[in-house]
Amino acid sequence: MSLSTLERIDPRIPSARLTQFFDPDSFEPFTTADSSGVLAGKGTVDGSPVVAFATDATIQGGAMGRDGCARIVHAIEAAVRLDAPVVGIWHSGGARLQEGVASLDGVGRVFAATVRASGRIPQLSLVLGAAAGGAAYGPALTDIVLMGPDAKIFVTGPDVVRTVTGEDCTADSLGGADVHARRSGVVAITCDSDEAAIERTRRLCALLADQGEIGPVRDRDLGSLLPESPRRAYDVRPLVAGVLDGEVLELHPKWAPNIVTALGRLGGRTVGVVANNPLRRGGCLDAASAEKASRFVRMCDSFGVPLIVLVDVPGYLPGVGQEWEGVVRRGAKLLYAFSECAVPRVTVVTRKAYGGAYIAMNASCLGATAVYAWPTAEVAVMGAEAAVGILHRRTLAEVPAQRRSTVLAELTAEHARLVGGIDRAVELGVVDAVVTPADTRAVIASTLAGAPAGRGSHGNIPL
Amino acid sequence: MAEEVRAEMVANVWKVVVGVGDTVSAGDTLVILDSMKMEIPVLSEDGGRVAQIAVREGDVVQEGDLIALLDGLPAA
Repeated sequence: MSLSTLERIDPRIPSARLTQFFDPDSFEPFTTADSSGVLAGKGTVDGSPVVAFATDATIQGGAMGRDGCARIVHAIEAAVRLDAPVVGIWHSGGARLQEGVASLDGVGRVFAATVRASGRIPQLSLVLGAAAGGAAYGPALTDIVLMGPDAKIFVTGPDVVRTVTGEDCTADSLGGADVHARRSGVVAITCDSDEAAIERTRRLCALLADQGEIGPVRDRDLGSLLPESPRRAYDVRPLVAGVLDGEVLELHPKWAPNIVTALGRLGGRTVGVVANNPLRRGGCLDAASAEKASRFVRMCDSFGVPLIVLVDVPGYLPGVGQEWEGVVRRGAKLLYAFSECAVPRVTVVTRKAYGGAYIAMNASCLGATAVYAWPTAEVAVMGAEAAVGILHRRTLAEVPAQRRSTVLAELTAEHARLVGGIDRAVELGVVDAVVTPADTRAVIASTLAGAPAGRGSHGNIPL
Repeated sequence: MAEEVRAEMVANVWKVVVGVGDTVSAGDTLVILDSMKMEIPVLSEDGGRVAQIAVREGDVVQEGDLIALLDGLPAA
């Protein structure tokens, strides 16, 4: 039977999936197809070399044995030698039971190889079927995980869960796309079809493999993308799209949506964007969003992708829930990630940056390449009115109730004058310059182009 | 499919924009909350018919509280 006939019979076989993934006629398998359960090879994506492997769902449900695992380790090491991204296409029930501990040993070797390559080459995982046990952790160790519509990811399947704990669940409620996209944060991108998932994986490969150089950018007035009222929350994603050339690949759009993390290009060069989203939770930083941004920042840093940070943040989300979720421990990750960053990184304060969140959003004190602010932006410990409420608590308590709002307004104006507006921040050097929304793209581009190229020398641990 | 719209954070309900029985599209504003000194619109993700508004203006909602319930529209 010819290969093409086989492909028509079962689209799950690795050669079919790998052929579909690579540029036409570019796939060169490292070995012939066999019973190991894995096929690996190299090819190109938009002309750039990429290595990929796929588990074979038609053999023992894609279960991973010693030989198959060795193929994956070989593929990862080949990608490191080629300095090319490696993509894993996963559809596997986990370790092969028949092989006993030998299969566990093999799966562990895949994990170790993934970690050795972490931060050196981009590693992407495209999950198209069930990925359980070792096949769940394999992707989880990589930089970006994508899921097709039939994919499930879990440590143990619903049958085992039912037997062991009595908990009743379905494969979807346990590890379906919605669960991982919204709740667990395991998956960065979910797609409605396998074709779309493959295409997105290719787009990410192209962005990371061929980063390009910054060329001229066209000006756009980004100011119209903010609402007129400074009190009104808005969706920041059109602004993110406005800063980038065209294509926007948002990672984790539904998990911790109060911060947006996206890859795209500016002046033709691959960049990463981190932006507070006031529409969700007011754009506050919290435990989950700080963690999401930290991992993104460290990923970009490890691959030499410059960062653009769009700031409109009222602070850290206050409350018992956040403290118990570890907003101190998890929020600290963002301070660490930006402080450690070697890649050029430019901050733009569009509306406001208050308190601890001001620091965490790549402030100049953390080593930002440059911090810019729009003319009406506010950079402060807190909003003037809130500050007056604390500083003049007694005075305000003493004035008669009917005069309180007038006094509050006077004190607020005085406080604003004393601490100074954005000009004072420029004077202090914590803001490098005030830029207009219309000039913003050009200023970011010239700053990034003029900064010495840097790249962090660290792995990308799944924070 | 029904859509449950829940509060993402502690907030005051500033304005209720839609009424029971209204038809809304994905991205339409249902209510506007006041929190962190900001007016934060709460949007429908999928759109549909408003079956219930669980809050009144002036209410304080906690994270996870139900704000509105939407019924999916029958396929045209």
